[in-house]
This record gives sequence, C-alpha cells and structure tokens, in this order.
Amino acid sequence: MPVLTPTKDDGAVAKANEVVYVEPSITVTDEVLAARLEVTGLNTAFVADLLSACLTHERCGTHLYRSVATRTNNPILQRRYQDFGEETLRHVEILEALIVSSGGNPNYVSPMARAVEGQDSKLLEATFLASGGLDLMTAEMAMLDAVLLAETIDNANWTTLGQLATQLPDGDLRTAFEQAVTQVKAEEDEHLDWALDTKAKLTMLQAQSSMMAAAGAKMEEMIDRVRGWLS
Amino acid sequence: MNPLDQKGMPVADQFRNWSDLNPEPYDKREVDPYTRTRVILMNGIEVESIMFSHEFHRHTDNLEIRQKLAMSRRADQVQQKVVNNLNPGDQTPLETTIGYEQVAVDLTAWLARHEPDPMIKQALDFALLEDFDHLYRYANLYELLGGKDATELTQQLTEIMPGRPTVVEHRHPMDDVRGHYNTNTVDPLTRLHVMTIVAGEQQTMNYYMNHSPEFMEPIARGLYTEIAMIEEQHVTHYGSLLDPLDSWLKQLVFHEYNEVYLYWSMLQQETDRRIKGIWELHLDMEIGQLQVACDLLRRFEGVEPAEILPKELPDTPVTFEPNKQYVREVLANQIELRTDGVDYVPLEELPKDHRYFGYQATVNDGGTPTELVIEQNRAKVQREFRDQTEGDHPVVDLRDPADTKA
Repeated sequence: MPVLTPTKDDGAVAKANEVVYVEPSITVTDEVLAARLEVTGLNTAFVADLLSACLTHERCGTHLYRSVATRTNNPILQRRYQDFGEETLRHVEILEALIVSSGGNPNYVSPMARAVEGQDSKLLEATFLASGGLDLMTAEMAMLDAVLLAETIDNANWTTLGQLATQLPDGDLRTAFEQAVTQVKAEEDEHLDWALDTKAKLTMLQAQSSMMAAAGAKMEEMIDRVRGWLS
Repeated sequence: MNPLDQKGMPVADQFRNWSDLNPEPYDKREVDPYTRTRVILMNGIEVESIMFSHEFHRHTDNLEIRQKLAMSRRADQVQQKVVNNLNPGDQTPLETTIGYEQVAVDLTAWLARHEPDPMIKQALDFALLEDFDHLYRYANLYELLGGKDATELTQQLTEIMPGRPTVVEHRHPMDDVRGHYNTNTVDPLTRLHVMTIVAGEQQTMNYYMNHSPEFMEPIARGLYTEIAMIEEQHVTHYGSLLDPLDSWLKQLVFHEYNEVYLYWSMLQQETDRRIKGIWELHLDMEIGQLQVACDLLRRFEGVEPAEILPKELPDTPVTFEPNKQYVREVLANQIELRTDGVDYVPLEELPKDHRYFGYQATVNDGGTPTELVIEQNRAKVQREFRDQTEGDHPVVDLRDPADTKA
C-alpha cells in the first residue's frame, strides 16, 4: 500500500522557511534536491517540487474517490468511483516509483504540494461541509463536480509530465518518464472524459425531468431517482 | 497503547446526571499541588475541545456531522463540568490563579524539555519566562492583599522569582505571530505539545479575561488586566504554531487524540485515588469520542485515521514535576530575547525605532500594575515575595536588592 498521507513516521521531508518549521534533520534544500536529480537544461529543484505536487494530487484523488464512492446513492457512479479510485491508487504507485527512479524521495512534500493539498482538501470538504441544504441530486452533482475538477488538474499534470519527458536527454530517466506517462495518460483521459460526459448527461436528465421541479418530492423517491440515473 | 485499537465508551452512554457532574471538590489544604494543576489543565483541554467543536459546527450544515459533533460536545461538557467542579469553593480566584501559573510554568517547561523541534522548543522557552514572571507577580499580590504565602499552594515545587519582567513582555501584536510546523513532517509529539499548550494558555486567557472585575482592589484589577493581555499574546504566539493545512475533520481527530493522550498521562501520575478514577473514566470516554471522529474522517474524507496518527501513544506521559534547574537555565540564557516579526532577537539588536518601543511607550504610559504590585508589597512588608529554593537568581539584575527570602 503506497503512502497516501506522508508523515514523519513515513520519512516525510520538506523545505523550511520563516513560516514553515521543519526539524533540521528532515529539512531539504533546493541544492540537495538538485544534486539528486541531475538533468541538463532543466531546473531540477523545480522538477522535484512539481513531481511532489503531482503525487500529492494523486494521493488526494485517492481520498476523494474513497469519499464519494462511500457517499453516492447511485450504484453506477459508485462503481466508477471505486474503479477510478483503484486506478488513481496505481497512479500514486507509478509516480512514487518514477520519483524513486529519478533519485528523489516520494515522501518529500514540496511547497507546491502543500498548495495542492490545500486546494484538494477544500475541494473535498466542499462536497460535504455545505451539503446540509442540498437535495440529493444537487449533492451528487457537487461530488461529480469535485471529481471533474480534480481530473482536470490531473489530466493537465500528466500532459505536462509528458511534455517534460520530451525535454529530457535520452537515457533511463527519459524512458522512465515516458513509460509512466504511457501507463497513466490513457486512464486519465478516460477519467476526464467520463466526468465531462456524465456531468452533461446528468444535467440534461434533471433538466428534462418534471419530477425534479416538483416541490416536496419524498426522500425515498429522490433516492430511487438518483439510484436509477444512468441505468 | 494504540487508541485506535480500543473501543472506548460509546458517546451515547456518556451522559450523566447533575449529581455526577458536581463531584466533591478536593480539599485545598490537603491537595497535591500537581493534582490541582492537572485539574486546571484538563479543564482547559475540555474548554478548547468544546470551543473548537462549536467553531466546526458553525462551518458546516451537514446534519450528520453537526449531530455527531453535538453528541461529543455534550459529552465534553460533562467532562468539563466534572473536572472544573473539583476546584473547591473556598479556593479563591487568586489562589486558583496561582495554580494556573504553576501549570503554565511546569507544563511549559516539561513540554520544552521533551520537544523534538528546536523552533517549537524556542517558542515554549520564550513564553515560559513570561509565565514564570506572572507567578511571581501574583504571589506578591497574594501577600499584599491578605498576607498569605503562595508556597502554601505551590509547596515549593515551583520557584517564585522574577522571569522576563512583565513590563517588557508587551509587544506589538505583529511581533507575536510565529511560523508553524508542517503537518506532513511534524513529530507526533510536537503536534500534541502544541495543541496542549494552546489549550492551556487559552484557558488562562479566558480565566483572566473574566475574573479581573471580581476584585475590589485597583491593584488586583490592574494586575489581572495587564497579565490578561500577555495571555492574549501567548495564545497568538502558540496558536501560530499549528499548521492551518489540516482539514476540519483532521483537526477534530487530532483534538480527540490529544485528549486521549492527556487523560492517559494524568492517569499515570495521579496520587488521589478518587480523582484517578475520573481520569480513567474520561480516558474511556475520549477513546469513544475519538472513534466517532475517526469514522467521520473515514467516511467524509476517505482518510484512514492510521494514515495521520502515530502507531501508538507516545510512551512518555505529560508529567507535572519540578523543572527548577531547567527554568533557571532558560532564565540565564534567554532573558534578553524579544521578537521581531517571526524571529527571536536579543533586545540589543532591535533598532531604536522598532515598533516594540512604540507599543511599550503606549501601554506602559502612566504606570504598570505588574511593577506597582511589587513596589506596594515591598512598601508593606519591607521585602518582595520570592521563593528561591535553589539559590540566587541566575540573572544578576533580577536578584532581590534586599536579598531576603519569604
């Protein structure tokens, strides 16, 4: 099982600055990062930070899928969320392996990764902290929107990693990047396409349904309706 | 002990009747001073838990979360009532205050001694010297108002002498904001230390905010008012140390986990059998509350609690014990430290036009109650009140001119 939330016990390391304290023994610097990943023509410390951010997004994605798979009332959406969650977990493993093969530490949490974790945790919180006033359909759509937004960033990340691979000199590192992108990108495309398509379908379904506009629809009817989406 | 492996008492079983919430208080003449400090600390821990839960409640309209928060919060209120009602009615607010400062000194010093992160240790050492000074000022007020000896409360477990003088502790608000630990790299012990000291200092701030008007004597009202403002500084200082990246539910889990750790700690060292039984019961209750928080985290954030919590509780319980030599070392080495933005700097390095001096001039204009209380007591009994069991003050300038001992 890969690490989904790096902690000190997992060997997490980070950069320190005047606002973020990190114990000296587990503090890393740009110089250390650059020394581990020597790539001509690229800002290697930045690449290390970027990989950490991409990995964090995949880790947060795993949490997101676990959460929405537990909370959805639709079995088809649930199955998709479970499947995509498992694939996302594999993407975590692939990225961890890529970072290790490039000389990095998968439990290095870069400042960019902190920014990603902040965004992703708020995205997930938005699906439930303010859900009390939402009907079931709207709550489902909020979860789907979170998936769509997360997959949009995810897709952009892997597209970027693919572009980065073309800038690397021939050799093992370039091969590792290319293989990782090849393994993952098609699934990311599928995730994003599915989220876009499903959002459109469910939006149209609700727009065309008279029941959705009827005030006072019973909870059981709404659950049945959501359960029946896409089937 | 890994609390995640324990079931604990279900929250639904944690409500008790009014009689249970109003236990017999301890005898202030017989109580172990560190039993008093444990009671004061755990009251503060429960208050923080309750106020955090209310804040969380106000940031969500998710009924399931709100209802589970309401259940655990009510149980926290039960615990808070039981713990706080252990304080006896014949223990005056000033006597309780001296207990609060004994907590502040010996808790802060113990945490600093065991703190793995040097920046967090520095934050603890810095404020330690200030709370240490407050104990001395209140002890002088205690003698001034009623001719009483504060060592009857502290039992000489904690020395009483000047720390960083309160008059120089007043800093511009922007200089009380510190950096924070990184939630991904923080040592589990550091997280618990910070959460504990934030709760403790916050309760001290609350106590002084509320008790100042209860005194008739202007010197007492002034002293509480002035020191209450330092507690505001300390809550800002320590609250800064928490990483804001943690989600609401993660913060909830960490709160419950810290309460488990602290009740377990209090249980290890309690000498009063009856009160030990309360710590034991509350530990079981907190484990039950932790399980609820963990279920919420799992369900709503897809995070397994074991991902973010250590494999077991720290093996060292938070312990109330004398820290005299440690405090003396910090006094000797850090008395001249001030802050400049997020940094600690020696006083001599602050430029003359630094905002520190402007703020000092504003608040100390017209006299300073923390200085006045010493002057008045000295005028009344021809010496100031001190309890220096380990010899002369380590800072020459802070030695008693009369070199007398209470």
